Amino acid sequence: TPSLIMDPECSRLLPALCAVLVDPRQPVADDTCLEKLLDWFKTVTEAGMGEGVTVDFPQRPDRPSLLLLQENPCLVELLFRVLKAHDPRPRVLSFSLRLAGLFAAQEDCFQYLQVSLSRAVDTIFSLQGDSSLFVASAAGQLLVHILALAMRGPAEGHPSPQGCDWPACAQKIVCHVEDSLRSTATPQVTQALNVLTTTFGHCHSPWTQGLWVRLSPLVACLLEKDPIPASHSLVDLLLSVARSPVGSSDCGLWETLAQTLSHLSPTQAGPLALGILKLQDCPQALKTQAFGVLLQPLACVLKAAAQAPGPPGFPEGATGDSITVDTFLSSKSACVGLLCQALAHLELLQLLPQRPSPWPQAPLLRAAVAILRFCHGSAAPTSDVGGHLCAVLAGCVRVQRAALDFLGTLSQGTGPQELVTQVFAVLLEYLTSPDSSPMVLKKAFQATLRWLLGSPKAPSCCDLDPHTQLFLGELLPVLRKRLCSPCWEARDSGLEFLTQVTRHWGGQAAFRHALLASEVPELTGQLLRDPESYVRASAVTATGQLSSWGLYATPTGPEHPEVQQESLFTELLHILSTDSEGFPRRAVMHVFTQWLKDGHADVAEDLEQFVARVLQAASQDLDWEVRAQGLELALVFLEQLLGQPGSRCPYAVALPEAAPPATLAQVLQALCRVQLFEFALRALFDCDRPVAQKSCDLLLFLKAKATPCGGPQEAGASPDVVSVEAALQRWQAGEQGQPLGELEPEAVMAVLRSMDLEGLRGMLAKSSDHMEKSPQSLLQDMLATVGVLGENEADCY
Amino acid sequence: MPEIRVTPLGAGQDVGRSCILVSIGGKNVMLDCGMHMGFSDDRRFPDFSYITRNGRLTDFLDCVIISHFHLDHCGALPYFSEMVGYDGPIYMTQPTQAICPILLEDYRKIAVDKKGEANFFTSQMIKDCMKKVVAVHLHQTVQVDDELEIKAYYAGHVLGAAMFQIKVGSESVVYTGDYNMTPDRHLGAAWIDKCRPNLLITESTYATTIRDSKRCRERDFLKKVHETVERGGKVLIPVFALGRAQELCILLETFWERMDLKAPIYFSTGLTEKANHYYKLFIPWTNQKIRKTFVQRNMFEFKHIKAFDRAFADSPGPMVIMPGYCVQGTVGHKILSGQRKLEMEGRQVVITPTLPPPALWNPCWAAGVMQVEYMSFSAHADARASCSCGQAEPENVLLVHGEAKKMSFLKQKIEQNSVGKPRRGRACEGGFSRACADRARHLAEALSTPPRGQLLYAANGETVTLSTSPSIPVGISLGLLKREMAQGMWAGHAGWGGAAAGQVAPQTAPAPAPAPASQGYSRMPRSPGSCRHPIMKDSNFRLVSSEQALKELGLAEHQLRFTCRVHLHDTRKEQETALRVYSHLKSVLKDHCVQHLPDGSVTVESILIQAAAHSEDPSTKVLLVSWTYQDEELGSYLTSLLKKGLPQAS
Repeated sequence: TPSLIMDPECSRLLPALCAVLVDPRQPVADDTCLEKLLDWFKTVTEAGMGEGVTVDFPQRPDRPSLLLLQENPCLVELLFRVLKAHDPRPRVLSFSLRLAGLFAAQEDCFQYLQVSLSRAVDTIFSLQGDSSLFVASAAGQLLVHILALAMRGPAEGHPSPQGCDWPACAQKIVCHVEDSLRSTATPQVTQALNVLTTTFGHCHSPWTQGLWVRLSPLVACLLEKDPIPASHSLVDLLLSVARSPVGSSDCGLWETLAQTLSHLSPTQAGPLALGILKLQDCPQALKTQAFGVLLQPLACVLKAAAQAPGPPGFPEGATGDSITVDTFLSSKSACVGLLCQALAHLELLQLLPQRPSPWPQAPLLRAAVAILRFCHGSAAPTSDVGGHLCAVLAGCVRVQRAALDFLGTLSQGTGPQELVTQVFAVLLEYLTSPDSSPMVLKKAFQATLRWLLGSPKAPSCCDLDPHTQLFLGELLPVLRKRLCSPCWEARDSGLEFLTQVTRHWGGQAAFRHALLASEVPELTGQLLRDPESYVRASAVTATGQLSSWGLYATPTGPEHPEVQQESLFTELLHILSTDSEGFPRRAVMHVFTQWLKDGHADVAEDLEQFVARVLQAASQDLDWEVRAQGLELALVFLEQLLGQPGSRCPYAVALPEAAPPATLAQVLQALCRVQLFEFALRALFDCDRPVAQKSCDLLLFLKAKATPCGGPQEAGASPDVVSVEAALQRWQAGEQGQPLGELEPEAVMAVLRSMDLEGLRGMLAKSSDHMEKSPQSLLQDMLATVGVLGENEADCY
Repeated sequence: MPEIRVTPLGAGQDVGRSCILVSIGGKNVMLDCGMHMGFSDDRRFPDFSYITRNGRLTDFLDCVIISHFHLDHCGALPYFSEMVGYDGPIYMTQPTQAICPILLEDYRKIAVDKKGEANFFTSQMIKDCMKKVVAVHLHQTVQVDDELEIKAYYAGHVLGAAMFQIKVGSESVVYTGDYNMTPDRHLGAAWIDKCRPNLLITESTYATTIRDSKRCRERDFLKKVHETVERGGKVLIPVFALGRAQELCILLETFWERMDLKAPIYFSTGLTEKANHYYKLFIPWTNQKIRKTFVQRNMFEFKHIKAFDRAFADSPGPMVIMPGYCVQGTVGHKILSGQRKLEMEGRQVVITPTLPPPALWNPCWAAGVMQVEYMSFSAHADARASCSCGQAEPENVLLVHGEAKKMSFLKQKIEQNSVGKPRRGRACEGGFSRACADRARHLAEALSTPPRGQLLYAANGETVTLSTSPSIPVGISLGLLKREMAQGMWAGHAGWGGAAAGQVAPQTAPAPAPAPASQGYSRMPRSPGSCRHPIMKDSNFRLVSSEQALKELGLAEHQLRFTCRVHLHDTRKEQETALRVYSHLKSVLKDHCVQHLPDGSVTVESILIQAAAHSEDPSTKVLLVSWTYQDEELGSYLTSLLKKGLPQAS
C-alpha cells in the first residue's frame, strides 16, 4: 500500500518538517498532525516486524524501519536534539519519545539508536515526572522498551537477581526503579510501579523472574507503610505479575497478594479481589479470601436488613466485618461508593466462566432486594446499621441503578420461589413509584424483562407459569400508566419493554390474553402520534411487533385482523411519507422489511402493491437510512422471487444459480411493475455512499441471476435503452428531477449489462477522504501550516 | 488541605475534543465530552482511560455537564455513555438537549456514510444517551446529590450555550464553555451572577486574536457576496458550525431586504433546516431584538432563504467563503493553507485566489476554478473578552481550549494587566485607526480585574491542582457576639478567618466568621466566661457559650482540676501556715481576689490551697494546691511561687 513506502516526495519533505519540530520559534501543527505522523511511522515499522530479520543483511529492503532511519538521518537528529533540549515543547517531546519507542522496539533500530538513547536515559528518568500524563507515560514506556532490549542477547536466560551480569543500561534502569520504590514521595513510587507493571505485562522472558526476585522485597515493604502509597498502581503491578509466567512459579507472590488483600481498605481491595478471581491458576484459599472481600458489603447489608436470624447467608469469611461497617458508617459517599463497586464487581464476576462455585445465588438475591428496598424507603430496619443505611440510601439513584443492573444479571440463575416473588415485588415497586427517575425506570424495565424471560415455563403446557401470569396481571396496568407518562423517556422505555416482551411471548396464550384485556395495544397505537419523535419511532416498532402476532387491537376487536392490518399499514405508510423526523420513518421501514421477511399474511395478500407503495415512499425520503432500508426491502423482495444469493456460501450444494428464463421474465416484469428498477438505478447515484453501495450490490445480484441464461435477449439500441441511459447520465450529473417512466425489462437488462457495476463498487468502497489520508498529503499540510498559522487563527466553531 | 484538581482530557492546548475532568470537594465532574474532527479512530474521542484507571466510570464520576451542542463539546457523548459505559446523569440546557441529537445524527452520518466506518455509535445509542440527559433551566440550582450543586448561566455563543457553576460546600468552580461577550444578530451576551469561584475555567481559542469590529467584518462579507452576485457569480458558504449558519442567514436576509435583491439564497437541507425548527421554538434564548420583534415576525422564518435543491447547481460559479477554522485532513484545511490544486473524489479542482469572479465552475468539480476568501465569523470570545466574564471574580483562572502559544500570550496579557499591541485579523479592512482605539479601550477594561490568585493553563493530560481554603459559615447569637466584643476577644483574633470572607448565618448578626473548622477548637481563647463552642447541626455551624452548648447537648460539666503538693519547712500549726500563705499571696497578687475561708483554706480565683501536717516530719507542712483547667497559668505560677517558700515573719 502507498502508505507503507517512503516515496521520494516524503523523503524530500521530511528534513524540512524535522527542522520545524526542533526549532522552538516555529509554531508546530496541532497534536492531530503529530499523531497521524506517528501512525504512519507505526505502519512503516510494523510492516518490518513480521519479516525474518537477519543480522547478515542489515540493508535488506525488507527491513523498512532501519532503512528509514538510515536514509533519513534527520529523524535521529530530531530525537537527539529534542531529548537534549533544555525546554522542549511538551507535544514535540511526547512525539519524539513515542517515535523513539516505535523504533527502539525493533532490535536493529535499537542497535542503531543505542548511542543516542543510552545517553538520554537520564533525561528519560526525569521525564517520567513530567506534568503531562502523555509525556510521562511515553517516557515510562520507552524505559520498558530499552530495558527489554538491553536484556536480550547475552543476558537472555536466567540472569542472577543481583544483576552482576546485567548490561550496564539495564542495571541503570533497575537501580533507578529500586531508588524510586524506596522513595517517600508517592509520585515516584507510582512511576516505578507503572514501569514494572508494563514490563511484566509485555515481557515474558525468563529474566523477568530474576527482576521480580530482586524487587519483590521492596514491593512488600510498601505494604507495611500506612497508608499504603500508590495503592492503585500497586494492585495493577501485583495482578500484572500474577498473570505473567513469574506468577505461576513464585509461591511468595500468593502470600503477598493475601497480605495486600487484608491490608487495603475495602474500596481499594475490590479491584484486586476481582483480579485475583479472574486468574486462571491461583490457590483456592486466596480465591476464597478474595471472594469474601467482594461479598463483605452485601453481607453487611443482609445483616443490617435482617429482622430475625434468617436463612443461611454467604460463605464463611463474608460476614459483614467491622471494617466494612465502619466504611458504611463513615460517610454517605463512602457507603454509596463501596456498595456500587461491590455490585458492579459481582455483576462482572457472575458472567465469567471461572466464577466461584458454589455461587451464593440466594443470599445475593436477598441482598439485592434489600438494597433496593433501602433505596426505596420500603425497608423496616431493626439494627443501627440498618437505620443508617436507610437514611443514606433513600432515593439514591446511583445505587438504584447499580442494584437493578445487578438484579437483572442475577436472573441468569434461579432462586427459591419465595425469593423470586420478592424480586418481582420490588421490581413492581420501582415500576410503579413516581419517584423513580427515568434512568431508574428504564433499568427496572430491563431487569423485569430479564426476570420474565428467565422465568420457568409451566410443566404441563408450554404456557407461562401461574406466578408469572399473576405478575403480568399486575404489570400491565403499570405499563399502561407509564405509556401515559408526561416524561418521554418513561413512555419510550415502556414501549421498548412492550416490544421485547411481545417478540418473545407473542405466541403465549396467557400473555396474549392478558395483553388484549389491557388497554396497552390501543395506547401504543395512540403513541404513533406522540409529539416526541423518539417515542413515535418506538411506537412504530411496538405496533409492528404487536401486529405481527395479531395483537394490534383496534376498536373493531380482534375478530377482523385483515381490516386492522390494512389500517395499520396505511397508518405506517402515512408516517413514512409525512413524518418530519427520520427516526419514525426509519422504524417504519424496519417494520415493513420484517413483515416482508416473515411473510406476513396481509402483506402477502397483495405483495406487489405493498412493495410498490413502500418503495415509492422510500425513494423520495431525505434520510439516507430510509433509502438504504428501502434497498434492503427491495433485496428481500428479490430474494423471495429469485432465491438466496447462493454463490456466497462455499459449502452450499451447487444448484443452478440462474433462474430459468421463463421465471426470470416474470420476475423482471414484476420488478418493473413495482418500479424497483427506477428506485435502484436512481440510488446508484445517490449522494449518500451507503445507499449507492447497497444499490450496486442489489443490481449486481440481479445481473448475476440473469446473465448466465441470457435472459430476455439483447434489446440493442432500442429507444427504451437510449432513454434509460440518458436518464442515468442526468442522474449521475446530479439532476434527480426527471422520472424514468414505464420501463421494459429488456431495456433495463441491456443497460445493466453495459454498466461497469464492479468498477463502480470499487470506487464506492473508497472513503471520501482517502485522498487526504496519504503521508505526502499530511507532510504537505504540516509544512503549509507553518507559513500560514499566524494568519489564519484557529477559528474553530 | 482541600484542593481542586483539573485535568483536561481533550481540550487543553488542542482544538476540538473538549473534555475536562474536575475534582472538587471529593466530587468528580466531567465538563463536556467532545470529539475531534481530525481523527477517524478512537482518538477522535477524549482519552477516557485516565478515568477508567480509577475504577468504573459510573462509580468514579458524579455527573457530566455539556455546555453547548457543538460536536467538539458533545460529540463523544454517545460513545462515552453507551460504548464506554457511563450510566450517570448528564446535564445540559433544554435547547442543547433538543439540538444535540440532530448534530450527533449528522456526525454519525458523516462517519458511517461518507467515511464508511463500521463500529460507530448507532442511532439507538444516541437515543439511549439522550435518555440520560437531565435538562436544566438558566439560574436554576440543580442538586446533583446532597453535596454537589450546579447552576447554569447564559453564555451567548450558540443557542442554548451555558456557563456552569459547580459548587461543593463552600468551594466552587465556574466553567465558561465557549462564550461570547458581545451580542450578535441573534444571541445576547454572556452573563453570570456576582460570584467568587475558587477557579474559573475558560477558553482561550482566540487568545491572540483581537478581531476587528463585527460591523466591519459583516460589511466586508456582504460587499463580497453582493459583488459576486451582481456579476452573475455564485457564492458558496460552507458553514460548518450550527449557529453561525443562522447568524449568516439573518445577516443576508436583512441585507437582501434592505437592498431589495432578488437573487435566491439557499441553505442546504438537512442539518440547518432541522435545527432552524428549534431556533424558532427557543426564542426566549435569543437576544432582545429578536424576542421583541417575535410577535410580528419570527426572525427565523426567512423570506429570501429557501431550502436547497441539487437541480440549482448548474452554471457559472462560485466564490467560496470559509467562515471558520478547518482541521488537517480536510479539503478546507488545504484550501486555507494555500494549496491551489486539489484532488477531490478523483477529480482535479483548481483554485485561483486572484481571479475575479465570475469564474467557471463545473458542478462535477471537473476542472473548476474559483476564488476563496477566509473571513472569521466565529462566536468565540477574543482576547479582550476572555477573562472578563460578567460578574465573576475568580480567585484563580485556568485557560483551556486553545493552543499552547496562544494560552501563554493570553496569560501574559492578563498578568501584565496592560494593553498589548493588537494584531490585525486578515478580514480587517477599513476603519483601522478607529477600530484599533476601540480595541485598546476594550482590552484595558476587560483586563482590569485580573484574578486574585494564580493564572494557570493546562495541557492535555496535565493535572492542575489548586489548594483552597474553604470558608465555612458559622452562626453566632447577637448576645454572645456583643459579650465577646465587649471583652475584646474578637479584636485579638482578627486574623482568624484567613482568606475566608465572613458569611454568617441569617439568624445572627453580621460578624467576621471565626476560624475554619479544622483549626477552630484548639484556638479558642481560654479565658473564663468567654468559652465558645462550635456546634454542628443540620450541616450548619453555630458558635454558642459553653453553658448553652452543655445544655443543648444534654451534658453535665466535668470539672478537671490539677493538683500539686508543695512542701514547706514550717514548724507552726497548719492554720497558721495557711494564714501566712494568705498574707503572702494577698501582698503579691494584688489584682486577684485572694480569700481566706472559714475552714482555713485559701482561694485565689479557682485555686484552692490547703495546709496539712506532714505524716513523718512535724517540722514540715504540706500545701495541697489544686486548680481548674481554665486557671492553669495562674495555678502554675502560684505553685512555683510557693515552692520558693514564704517570707520570714516579721
